[in-house]
Amino acid sequence: MIVSLLARGGDLVERADVCVIGSGAGGAVVAAELAAAGRDVVVLEQGGHWTRAHMTQREDQMLPRLFEEAGLRQTVDGAVTLLQGRCVGGSTVHNLCYAFRTPDPILAMWSREHGLPGLTPEALRPSFERVERQLKVKPIREDEVNAWNRLLRAGTERLGWSGFVTRHNREGCVRAGYCILGCSYGAKQSMLETYVPRADRAGARIYADARAERIEAEGGRVRRVLGHAVDATGAARGSLEVQARAVVLAAGAVASPDLLLRSGLEGSSGHTGRNLHLHPAVMALGLFEQEIHAYRGIPQSWYVDEFIDLARDPHAGYVLMPIAGFPVMTATQLPGFGRDHAALMRSYARSGGVLVLLHDRSGGSVEPGDSLGRPRIHYALEAEDGRQLAQGLVRCAEVLFAAGAREVVVPYLDDPLRLAPGDDLGAIEARGVRAGEIPIASTHPQSTCRMGGDPRRSVVGPFGEHHQVRGLFVADMSVFPTSLGAPPQITTAALADRTARHLLARWGELAADA
Amino acid sequence: MSAAGRAGSLRTTRRGFLHLAGASVAFAGLANLRALPVAADAATDGRFFSAADGQRFSRIAERMVASDDLRAPAWGETRALDAVDALCARLDPELTAPLPTLLRLVEWSPFLFELRLARFSSLDAAGRDAHLRGWMQSRFRWRRQAFLALRNLALLGYYSQEQTWAAIGYRGPLLGGAGSAA
Repeated sequence: MIVSLLARGGDLVERADVCVIGSGAGGAVVAAELAAAGRDVVVLEQGGHWTRAHMTQREDQMLPRLFEEAGLRQTVDGAVTLLQGRCVGGSTVHNLCYAFRTPDPILAMWSREHGLPGLTPEALRPSFERVERQLKVKPIREDEVNAWNRLLRAGTERLGWSGFVTRHNREGCVRAGYCILGCSYGAKQSMLETYVPRADRAGARIYADARAERIEAEGGRVRRVLGHAVDATGAARGSLEVQARAVVLAAGAVASPDLLLRSGLEGSSGHTGRNLHLHPAVMALGLFEQEIHAYRGIPQSWYVDEFIDLARDPHAGYVLMPIAGFPVMTATQLPGFGRDHAALMRSYARSGGVLVLLHDRSGGSVEPGDSLGRPRIHYALEAEDGRQLAQGLVRCAEVLFAAGAREVVVPYLDDPLRLAPGDDLGAIEARGVRAGEIPIASTHPQSTCRMGGDPRRSVVGPFGEHHQVRGLFVADMSVFPTSLGAPPQITTAALADRTARHLLARWGELAADA
Repeated sequence: MSAAGRAGSLRTTRRGFLHLAGASVAFAGLANLRALPVAADAATDGRFFSAADGQRFSRIAERMVASDDLRAPAWGETRALDAVDALCARLDPELTAPLPTLLRLVEWSPFLFELRLARFSSLDAAGRDAHLRGWMQSRFRWRRQAFLALRNLALLGYYSQEQTWAAIGYRGPLLGGAGSAA
């Protein structure tokens, strides 16, 4: 059963074995695994339930349906825009399907530095395999690589850099290219098409437009979740209460710590809502002679890993990725206004972007805001990370020129840098990357309820259970002990699979304790 | 357009609004204006903008999207204002509340910031552009952020309009009619 709590009307009172908050890469996996094992599961999802039939390929309709704050969510200083999902299926509905396992050196570092010796590649392999089977992960075929990715690949190879065609979670992809606005064809194997229906078939009761606002515990034991039905503006309608023996918080690295803090369940570590990493990304745009129509076809299949070596340094590096936007997304990324801006927009069909995505050391925090659903997000880009991003922009320009670009635009907000082949790219490093001077985006907020063996330095234990509240688990990107340094979808789902199995193994104990 | 037709159209756009994948500083700047007195004239018919605020926004937006390309429609030839209105009406009111104040501030800013006996709407096109450039390049971060908020709203409204796509070479959605709504 998947139902909008708004459409249902009235108040909701439920009892369940497990209440799962959030239905993205973590929550959907937990809900499906627990329901399939016979547990009585209720899922609360703040966003709406939009099926493939609702995916219209139009920015004006899809951005408010699929994204937190219609895509306008930002850090308090306005320097970073965060694109997070707000719908049944979460961010997996709009992501671009990169399917990477957790890098081995990251697992080794988490084991070594965060007291997680059980998180080995071998221990996680069954979870990776189960998740990848459900999501139908497979390599992108060469003939599926679109024109823009082929151009970027050619540039990469001319420079002798390391890059590869990635694995994705797609099945029967028609290569329309509208992945970021939700797949109209059911081909993207998001949670909406995989684990959510599986949870539904197994009997989970999934409520959309249902915002969890407080988790209550008594005697160190989780008891219930309280909240409201909410409309698109965040206005509360009917109330909800779910009494449960276990609660799995999977609302993402912004909402999960916000809810713990609002509930007074931050624990004693002082780390709830801290250690925010964003994988901050900046972009350079290449303008070509020929039309590319970069927005058509699979948006991201090529991946440049020349500038990240996690085995050498698991704390630093960056990757380059192709990016293409639809008109609104592109227009808002470009600098200036009026005729100058319009002139750039006239190159839309002949342009393609390259993102620098940083494995960041910089830290931030999340704290409750003035209104529910709008936490205050702080992030301070450290100088060294700014230098890394600037170096990455130089690499973007190099690869764009190697791919044949006749001009590269670095979109500094007040005075964009426009470079021709042969220009001194040192101009980019001279300008640098500083907050507020160039658009910075994040699609991967993480680490705000970090996992660890030491309750003094972490929020949840090795299987996602809160160190101080029995029966309360966290299963989303907020549990990553550090920045992941790779696209996070598979890691999130695999850790959630592991948490679900641990919860099932401990069910007798949890039920008896309730 | 009939009231019924207009309502239907609004219903379609009201579901939506727009975005800014990665876009820059949009409403954050507005938050800095909350301390200013708000004296908005009331909007009607469930719209976010009052008629006067809609006109103020359009005076700004038409310069934001001005183009030399004859194929590009002018702001006023599109339903972009409706799209922006629909977006603002569906966002958290806390986020959008400072917008009417900001529009008034821009209208009076030639006097406030340059001590000129002029309102923004009384300037010619070149004057408006020069004035907006002053906001864009201001040494005050809140002014730069406010500029971006207004600019991005204008871009969101404008480039969501099908009439604007031909001029930039965007071929539009593959599903049904470009305006199809589920």
